[in-house]
Amino acid sequence: MEVRSQISMVFHLDKCIGCHTCSIACKNIWTDRKGTEYMWWTNVETKPGTGFPTCWEDQEKFQGGWKAENGKLELRSTSKRKAVTNMFHHPNMPTMDDYYEPWTYKYEDLFNAPEGTDQPTARPISMVSGEYINIEAGPNWDDDLGGSPVYAENDPNLAGLTPEQRAQLSAVERLVFFYFPRICNHCLNPACVAACPSGALHKRGEDGIVLVDQKRCRGWRACIAACPYKKVYYNWFTGKSEKCILCFPRIESGQAPACFHSCVGRIRYLGVLLYDADRLEEIAKKPTDELVEAHRSLILDPSDPQVISAARSCGIHDSVIEVAQESPIYKFVVDWKIALPPHIEYRTLPMLFYVPPLSPVMANQEGDTINHVSSDLFHDIDDSRVPMRFLANLFGAGHERHVRYALRKQKAVRWYRRALTVGDVSMETAERMLHEAGCSVEEAEAIYQLTSLCTFDDRFVIPPAHREEAIAMLEDPLEHKQAVGFGFISNPRRGA
Amino acid sequence: MGEHFNTGHSFIVLSLALLFQSLVYGQEPAQIFKEKCASCHSIGAGRLVGPDLKDVASRQKREWLVEFIVDPKKKISGGDPYAQKLVSESRGVIMPSLNIESKTAEKLLDYIGEQSRSGSPQGGVGSAVMKPFSGSDVERGRLLFIGAITLANGASACVSCHGAAQAPLLGGGQLGPDLTRVFERLGGRQGLSAWLTAPATPTMSSVFKNRGLTEEEINSLVAYLEDRAKTGREEDPSVATLNFFLLGLGGTVTALVLFETAWRKRFRGVRRALVLSAKKNGEE
Repeated sequence: MEVRSQISMVFHLDKCIGCHTCSIACKNIWTDRKGTEYMWWTNVETKPGTGFPTCWEDQEKFQGGWKAENGKLELRSTSKRKAVTNMFHHPNMPTMDDYYEPWTYKYEDLFNAPEGTDQPTARPISMVSGEYINIEAGPNWDDDLGGSPVYAENDPNLAGLTPEQRAQLSAVERLVFFYFPRICNHCLNPACVAACPSGALHKRGEDGIVLVDQKRCRGWRACIAACPYKKVYYNWFTGKSEKCILCFPRIESGQAPACFHSCVGRIRYLGVLLYDADRLEEIAKKPTDELVEAHRSLILDPSDPQVISAARSCGIHDSVIEVAQESPIYKFVVDWKIALPPHIEYRTLPMLFYVPPLSPVMANQEGDTINHVSSDLFHDIDDSRVPMRFLANLFGAGHERHVRYALRKQKAVRWYRRALTVGDVSMETAERMLHEAGCSVEEAEAIYQLTSLCTFDDRFVIPPAHREEAIAMLEDPLEHKQAVGFGFISNPRRGA
Repeated sequence: MGEHFNTGHSFIVLSLALLFQSLVYGQEPAQIFKEKCASCHSIGAGRLVGPDLKDVASRQKREWLVEFIVDPKKKISGGDPYAQKLVSESRGVIMPSLNIESKTAEKLLDYIGEQSRSGSPQGGVGSAVMKPFSGSDVERGRLLFIGAITLANGASACVSCHGAAQAPLLGGGQLGPDLTRVFERLGGRQGLSAWLTAPATPTMSSVFKNRGLTEEEINSLVAYLEDRAKTGREEDPSVATLNFFLLGLGGTVTALVLFETAWRKRFRGVRRALVLSAKKNGEE
């Protein structure tokens, strides 16, 4: 057993209000430089919708992630042979148009325009070329179903829905959408790292954050094609690729990443998980219907004495193990099983999990009152406005049982709290629902606490950075001291 | 091979080779004459491209002759009247610089003097065929010229450097002079055959020194070039340049069309196609 620690995340989609505060917080800190204008390390997408870049989930086009064929795990986008034949042109790279051409406005025209009968206007200009452009798309062009006949109807997750289900998604009175905020998943089996010909991408040993070494990156952009989530971006100005760094400078100083910290809906949770790195390949090769459970089984119980001693022998600090025991992620993913990985079928083993959203059920009108209670308590989970199939495509590799389990449990917790506080539902009914959802009263309370009344410290259980140990993983400090002393980051050189 | 010898062996081999070389060049002006002079000059066998050298010493001063042999171009462009006369006699063909040192030139003059006195004619091409060439000779010459038949000793075909109004599209090579009229320039069968027996200009000699033409090949080529001189018109180099450009342009366009066909299903972005197809569906 090779135990490693991984900073993991849960996004509670039922709480996301789609305000984009996370996106702006991230942009202001990291991507407001030349060459990064179009990057959104964290962004919020509307589902159904095609997201950013357009149709990133369509791997038939973009060839991201891994495929498991003939017992072998292989990248879809590249191989040793393709790395040579596609050396100067990668055929499956999103174009600038698939992201959007970043633009600003020529504001000085508002002040300098000669006097005339018209109001002066500020025409849009490209932030790449500086030329006047016609704005055709943006990173949130389909936000809140804007342009839904074009974008929402082409959501790749609609695959497998009947034409009636598709039609009802945009029907009057049944129109529905939810938000899907995304950052880098800091995967356990990252395709971007595997694809990089320069060895510039790496997964930090101490916390599993995936980073692009800006000194080593040679701009091949293999990572951009390989990442199925399209979360590595090419900086056209520096000629290097960049991605979400999970605000590691903030994490190392005990703060939550900017998008987590600023989240208005408090949907974001962060904590440490311990996992067994020996089983990674075996798990990533599992058939799709076993993937969700298999992925979950990689995560080790940080309270298990056997795991603790193995973790210690793998060099994980006691303080990290303690923090892992408090991890809200472990509760959501392993204990309660209501947080699911996005598109696990890409086989990168993402470490960002989503609590799938409950959506309104069909109401039936009786006289002047609208009744939301159906006779069959759980039947209406399958009757939600967002078809189960759609959520299953997103969070269950096409298999509905994981999503149904998560939604039933959430609904049971709601009814339990409703019985407790409002009292219009009998506690007997609520407890029956909890029982059927496989949830105890204590668990329901805990879910309610961590979902609704959570504080900063509940949501973000950040491990101590232990930079000294992280450095010791790369080189022996005593040897380093003998060679160059402790006063230099890189070796001193005469004349430089 | 040499690398298999140790240093001592190589030294011995090298010394022997140098000794042999000096024997050849030190004692054999006849050999030099054959290699470097005989293609244009005879001694007592009549005029080829250049004048017959029999009793040349009586026509000019020895000093002048040595200077001329060492650097003919300098003498000619220097405006020397006798040199000018020689050029006009050989219809504008200028004697090339043959990298002959003055010491060797002296030896050559001695040799020419000896041969003049002995009376037996030296050089010239006694074997030059005097009967009219047949059509098959001309055709074989053409094939040799354009390289369809490989030259027996492996020299590259004439067409790689010369044109003779024979290839319809691109013409021959542009490196050497056009050979359409060479038959007349070099003085007919005799001159041309002699020239081809041992081409003396620095470029030609380095190419043909060890890969000489056979007698049969020379005859065929002479037949072909004689025919060219009668029927062919010299190529206009600008036409060949234009043809070359047009061929390149056509090739590029063809290649682009082929690439476009082969990779017509390549990835060209997603969003624009999505919007276009949605618009199209909306209009229907």
